[in-house]
Amino acid sequence: MKKISLMGCPNVGKSVVFSRLTGVSVISSNYPGTTVDFTKGTTAIGGEKFELIDVPGTYSLAPTSKAEEVAQTMLQEGDIVIDVIDSTHLERNLYLTLEILGRKKPTIVALNLWDETKHVGIDIDVDKLEKLLDVPIVPTCAITGEGIKELASKLRDARQSKAIEPMSEEERWLKVGEIVSEVQVVHHRHHTIWERIADTTVKPITGIPIAILVILLTFLFIIVIGNLIIEYLMDPIFYNYYGPWVVGVVNSFSPDGLLHDILIGKSTIESLDFTQSLGLLTTGLYVPFSMVLPFVITFYFMLSLLEDVGYLPRLAVLVDTGLHKLGLHGSAIVPTILGFGCNVPGTLATRILETEKQRFIAVTLMAIAVPCMAQSAMIFGILGRYGMKWIFIVYCTLLMLYIFIGLLLKKIVRGESPELLLEVPPYRKPDPSTLLKKTWSKAYGFLAEAVPFVILGVFIVNLLYVSGVIGVLSTVFSPVLTTLLGLPEGAIVALIMGILRKDVAIGMLLPLGMSPQQLTIACIILTTYFPCIATFFVLLHELGIRDMLKAAGLMITVSLTVGIIMRLILIGI
Amino acid sequence: MMENPLSDMNSDGKPVPLTTLLPGEKAKIVALGRSIRGQHHFRTMGLMEGKIVEIIATQPARGPLVINVEGTQIAIGWGIARHILIQKI
Repeated sequence: MKKISLMGCPNVGKSVVFSRLTGVSVISSNYPGTTVDFTKGTTAIGGEKFELIDVPGTYSLAPTSKAEEVAQTMLQEGDIVIDVIDSTHLERNLYLTLEILGRKKPTIVALNLWDETKHVGIDIDVDKLEKLLDVPIVPTCAITGEGIKELASKLRDARQSKAIEPMSEEERWLKVGEIVSEVQVVHHRHHTIWERIADTTVKPITGIPIAILVILLTFLFIIVIGNLIIEYLMDPIFYNYYGPWVVGVVNSFSPDGLLHDILIGKSTIESLDFTQSLGLLTTGLYVPFSMVLPFVITFYFMLSLLEDVGYLPRLAVLVDTGLHKLGLHGSAIVPTILGFGCNVPGTLATRILETEKQRFIAVTLMAIAVPCMAQSAMIFGILGRYGMKWIFIVYCTLLMLYIFIGLLLKKIVRGESPELLLEVPPYRKPDPSTLLKKTWSKAYGFLAEAVPFVILGVFIVNLLYVSGVIGVLSTVFSPVLTTLLGLPEGAIVALIMGILRKDVAIGMLLPLGMSPQQLTIACIILTTYFPCIATFFVLLHELGIRDMLKAAGLMITVSLTVGIIMRLILIGI
Repeated sequence: MMENPLSDMNSDGKPVPLTTLLPGEKAKIVALGRSIRGQHHFRTMGLMEGKIVEIIATQPARGPLVINVEGTQIAIGWGIARHILIQKI
């Protein structure tokens, strides 16, 4: 089977072309560098089968980064190259094209985003470009599928360019300039009113108030809509339909005893208890589906919306100066926001930062002070009943930790903190179906990951109680928990569970009958002391053992210190 | 690096750093300075000698500049921007 390499610069819609050619759906995002590994697929064109490889986007073949090394190897392996170009940025895309053509592989060029050239006032003479490059060129619009058929049918015409020879970097830029001046005409265009409005979101005087408003509205949307879903959809399902049914079924074969308690706890049809019964089929399902999922859905909906509209790079510009004080730069806001969904993708996304120092700081701050949505949902759930004040205390404490630890790490971690250099893409109208697809795929990902682990967690808690291990551990840790932190001995079960899953851990606090002050302290400690197991392994992979140990030492120290301070402030001595 | 020695030479079209421009002003790039990711990175973003840049926004306390080069907006740290030399037009 012949191999086709799909190559191009970042953010040119390569993954969409891949989906169109193979029928495999690949999730594309509106910031560069989302294809970390390469994707493979097969496609049949004119009766012949091809293997298609989606190579990570790169600006050049000179191996200065991981993505470029991968691209280099993929190019050597492929039999045919499809070079995808963003037609609205011909000049900077052509550099890679000339590099590819210099390697003398049979090549065909897709001028993608062709429809947008008309909107931005660019004319490209395709025939002339075809002559100058001496390979077939097809204008495409992958999003709508226009030109994809022609691209596939012209694949057999892919050929080695006789016009483009290998050359030096300097010569290549000169050649790019030459070609562009011959084939492209840019019509002068005045700023439209919409562009003027778009600009106000990056000017500090207007941009900062807008950013605060956007963040507040996002937060409000997540909480209000999340709560509405719980109140009018999830709770009625659980309390009116699922609860009576599951209790009835379990009672029919096991009216009491150990199995009954492990499955549904002490729940009866008259008094359904989903939060404290600790049954696999009651708490084990209620926590992920009713307490967490609604907030996960609303969070990822808002995140996808901000991402697709193109607001995040503008937020990066506005917070850049502040984040520099913490040894980071504006781009670090993207992994941080992802971390509020789940620390695992958040940690992986810190790869967009350039230096080891920045990555260590970003990852450590996230592990300590950024609660994932599952954790936040449970914090809203158990502290919300005592008033917004307590939730506010938890998040303010975490924000202060983020700032203080960042200031400290900037001073003590060695290495460079480079400056921001980031393209700010134009605002785009989000496509509702893409938006819903993205939200659904993230929510589904959450359920696939969370449900088995939550049920496992609840099962382990049952074992710990039944076997009496909890009693022993409570006594052992009681000096730290009771004397230093002012928490009941039983809180140890939450700390143990927190290593598996934070949402279950916070749920474990409910049966302990704690005061709002104690719950607040416990929530802060559970957020900061150690990451959940999934995040731990990603951290280990990204940081290596030595840095992971340093980060873990910091987490435990910070957690204990802030726990004691909060105890003194909220409860007294 | 408080005051750039070139800053008082802008009146007769001599090169000055990009950071001396105000929002709304336009200039032509005459030289690219160094960057941690190399000059190549500038060029792949469309920043090249001879290109016209317009300042869209600046941030306080030497924060990043947002510039427009041929319809593409780029956010660029102050520390990098001061190595890009321009001629006011």
